[in-house]
Amino acid sequence: MRYDVTMDPIDPRELEAIVSHPGAGAICTFSGIVRDNSRGQSVTHLDYEAYAEMAVPQMKKIGQEIKDRWPEARVAMAHRTGHLEIGEVSVVVSVSCPHRAEAFEACRWGIDRLKDSVPIWKKEHAADGTFWIEGSEAKPAR
Amino acid sequence: MAVAIAVKARYLARLRELAGVELELIHVSIGATLGDVYDAARAKHPSLPDRGAVRGAVNLEFAGWDARITDGDEVAFIPPVSGGRP
Repeated sequence: MRYDVTMDPIDPRELEAIVSHPGAGAICTFSGIVRDNSRGQSVTHLDYEAYAEMAVPQMKKIGQEIKDRWPEARVAMAHRTGHLEIGEVSVVVSVSCPHRAEAFEACRWGIDRLKDSVPIWKKEHAADGTFWIEGSEAKPAR
Repeated sequence: MAVAIAVKARYLARLRELAGVELELIHVSIGATLGDVYDAARAKHPSLPDRGAVRGAVNLEFAGWDARITDGDEVAFIPPVSGGRP
């Protein structure tokens, strides 16, 4: 099991190793990557900020939700915080299951729930300024 | 003397920038709700957005605005999280 918020680079292969076991015929891993553009503007870098004391328990809760729905799933999740450059990995959700259909579904469920309910925010440094991204909205940062 | 309780209020991300503070004590009446704490916070920091754009948490769990607050609770005011297009 791994649920963490970290300033250090995340290696998706490390999370896959955690969920891997002899009965897991499928591992589905989502990696979120810092893009060089947003809202039609070029992006130079991102800063991620977490409410870590709450984010990690929320991630564990999502892991439990996955196991309630897919009892054979094993789950690992990690989210980066701090300064991230274009191309870096910001978030990883890795799920193993006996077969691929449930591995895809459970991984999709995990990243969607994480994006919806884990208190982590990104501040986007773009050509037109610096913005907090709140859901689908970009709001100017101070 | 008015009977009041003190709660630790934490402002996250953009709300911290708008409030100009990360953590502070807020005093509210006994029996106050999370919404009452947020209203008191907005009275101190008028640039904070209305409740519709914020989620509240009590002691590290999301909670509704009608959640009762007790002395020493830590509440957090949380803007919409990072989202991203699916």
